[in-house]
Amino acid sequence: MKKRVDFLVIGGGPSGHRAAIQAAKAGRSVVLVERGHTLGGECVHRGTIPSKTLRESAMYLDGLRQRSEGVFDVQMRADTKVASLMRRMKKVREGHETYMGRQAERNGVEHWQGLAAFRSPHEVEVVLRDGGRQCVKADFIVIATGSHPRRPEEVPIDHEIILDSDSILSLIYLPKSLVVLGAGVIACEFASVFASLGVEVTMVDRHERPLGFLDPELTDEFVRAFENRGGRFVPSRKTVAVTTDGYNAFVELEGGEKIQAEKCLCALGRVANVNELNLGGAGLELTESGLITVDDFGRTEVPHIYGVGDVVGPPALAATAVMQGRIAVRHALGLPTSDFPDQVPVGIYTIPEIASVGLTEAQAIQEHGAATVGRARFGEIARGHINGHTDGLLKLVADEQGEKLLGAHIVGEGATELIHVAQMALYAGLPLEAFLDNVFNFPTLAEAYRVAALNLVGQMTFRQTA
Amino acid sequence: MSLDSTSATALPALVRRLLEEHFAGDVNLPVLPDTAMQVMALCRSEKCDAQLLSDRIRRDQALAGHVLRVANSSAYAPKEPIVSLRQAVSRLGISTVQEIAIAVSLNGRVFNAPGWQVRIRDLWMHSAAAAVYAKEVARFLRFNVESAFMCGLLHDIGRPVVLQALLDIAKRRTDLPVPQKIAEAAMDEFHERVGAMVIRRWKLASWLIETTANHHRYPAESLNIEHIDDLRVTVLADALSHWALDEEATKDDFPTEHPVLQDLDIYADDLVELLDMRKRVLEVAESFI
Repeated sequence: MKKRVDFLVIGGGPSGHRAAIQAAKAGRSVVLVERGHTLGGECVHRGTIPSKTLRESAMYLDGLRQRSEGVFDVQMRADTKVASLMRRMKKVREGHETYMGRQAERNGVEHWQGLAAFRSPHEVEVVLRDGGRQCVKADFIVIATGSHPRRPEEVPIDHEIILDSDSILSLIYLPKSLVVLGAGVIACEFASVFASLGVEVTMVDRHERPLGFLDPELTDEFVRAFENRGGRFVPSRKTVAVTTDGYNAFVELEGGEKIQAEKCLCALGRVANVNELNLGGAGLELTESGLITVDDFGRTEVPHIYGVGDVVGPPALAATAVMQGRIAVRHALGLPTSDFPDQVPVGIYTIPEIASVGLTEAQAIQEHGAATVGRARFGEIARGHINGHTDGLLKLVADEQGEKLLGAHIVGEGATELIHVAQMALYAGLPLEAFLDNVFNFPTLAEAYRVAALNLVGQMTFRQTA
Repeated sequence: MSLDSTSATALPALVRRLLEEHFAGDVNLPVLPDTAMQVMALCRSEKCDAQLLSDRIRRDQALAGHVLRVANSSAYAPKEPIVSLRQAVSRLGISTVQEIAIAVSLNGRVFNAPGWQVRIRDLWMHSAAAAVYAKEVARFLRFNVESAFMCGLLHDIGRPVVLQALLDIAKRRTDLPVPQKIAEAAMDEFHERVGAMVIRRWKLASWLIETTANHHRYPAESLNIEHIDDLRVTVLADALSHWALDEEATKDDFPTEHPVLQDLDIYADDLVELLDMRKRVLEVAESFI
């Protein structure tokens, strides 16, 4: 028998869950099809939450090491169990799953466990976990199936010695050494976390800098901090071969260097989960990168079908995905929809954290012809000294006159929280002066905004008087 | 087809009491074979390499012969005969050789009950197949592959120990042979607890104790298990091994309603993929014998 609903949401991660709740709150009937028996998607089960739980342990250790200034010799034992560093993960994960499930239930969202495939633009067949099949016809369909780690052919991932970003979280013991292939967000996060836990980490990438989309000053600072923690970054080198003898991984680089490590993490991108959807049945085609093309509201070329979250590509962040889910449903229902915010912050949970909002210095020069910048190093901030986190940088980018804020970029402790001050300033169109005219708590890291603004104004004054 | 390994016969109260008394005392449990212990220690050390591992295995001639036999078996299908241990280690990889060494040592020393060779062989084959299947399930789910193998291999380690204890008790009290049904009932009832005792005595990892002690209690909601993923993998591997070793069982005979499939989000197509591994799993398990 065919089920008839207003909305069918495929995928129960942050974006799909948000879309389903939004539609249900508008009084529409909603079926949410999710592969797993609980909601949350990769974010809860293999991504954000588990990796950040491990990161918290690394942060405690790193913080203790930094603050004790050598008084305590803080080292992990060679046989430290990774599970013991993620002891709270089960609780955190279950708490989040329960919260998401209850919210869906409370709002009347019908949750089916199954795999969805389009039969026509309005019809989807769901293969249930036990092999049963059910057909759903929907006025609107939201695709939110997320992504999985890419498996390059030349990297023999066995989930034992050569791991991906899913299987690395199942390690029993901390390895002595780890080689990380790639230098994107996931690669940098894991590389810095394991380096902080005392693992000998080598990160290899074909680009000159990690996290190429960020301001180079930030990434230089990150590399410095990573290497201070014992990590090694090998830039501008292609990987020729990856092999294992069943005990170690061997990564051969262009030029002949061979890196041996106990484990290898392949973090060379992610692939949208679209293979099982039979998108052809809906009249949809994928881009060359295997993504779904959408407009600003998440609408695909088939007007009643929307795509949100990782399936539409960058920035592929949980926070953005939630907003995408909300906007897509509101647009479908003809409800007032603000445009997708111009200023979406990027938060990267490396050690130290990195965050960015608005234009980089290079982008500002490209768009406006010129730019001014102000910097504050955490070493100049009292709170940075108190916390022992002096290896940070806050950089403000403004227009040529040094009046209008265009972007903010931070590397250092608390960066992902601090960035919201700049985000709100950009949203409200506040002048740079706002950072000078207002009082910030003392001692806080937010004081860096004042210091950076003063630095920028000081340069302007110097320029004018020179 | 039933995958339930529990026997239909109730254990006589006297036998239960005798076994309870036996295992409550300062019982003489099997020791972890030296070779297994040394190979495990070597593989956990930083200096382990193919040469050192080959050298260590070479000291145990039976094991050395076994590793070579496995390396040349159809499970690993070498293009040309493997004649040296060093070659075998390179071919199979250090972790596989470690698994063979542990499995073979256990097979000879723990899975051993005179007069019950056929049953012991079946028990051993089931454990070996469960170990290989556990690895594949873990790999499929991105769980830890190394812990999965050991969980599968050791989950029923209590069975031969219970059987041996029963035979010893019987020998002390009577000349009559132990009826098969009584032996099966005793193993069913005691093997989880005794298996966990053995693993605890061997000072092995906590997840091995948990999975061994609870693999038939799943999915009791009251179970407060820290390593629930390892337990789930073991439970599924146990069921897959029983199925794989039943020569008459077809793919349709595997119970798709098994609750662990639901908890691990394994779909019909995923299950078929695992069932399709039967031949290879049995070949590898067979090579351990």
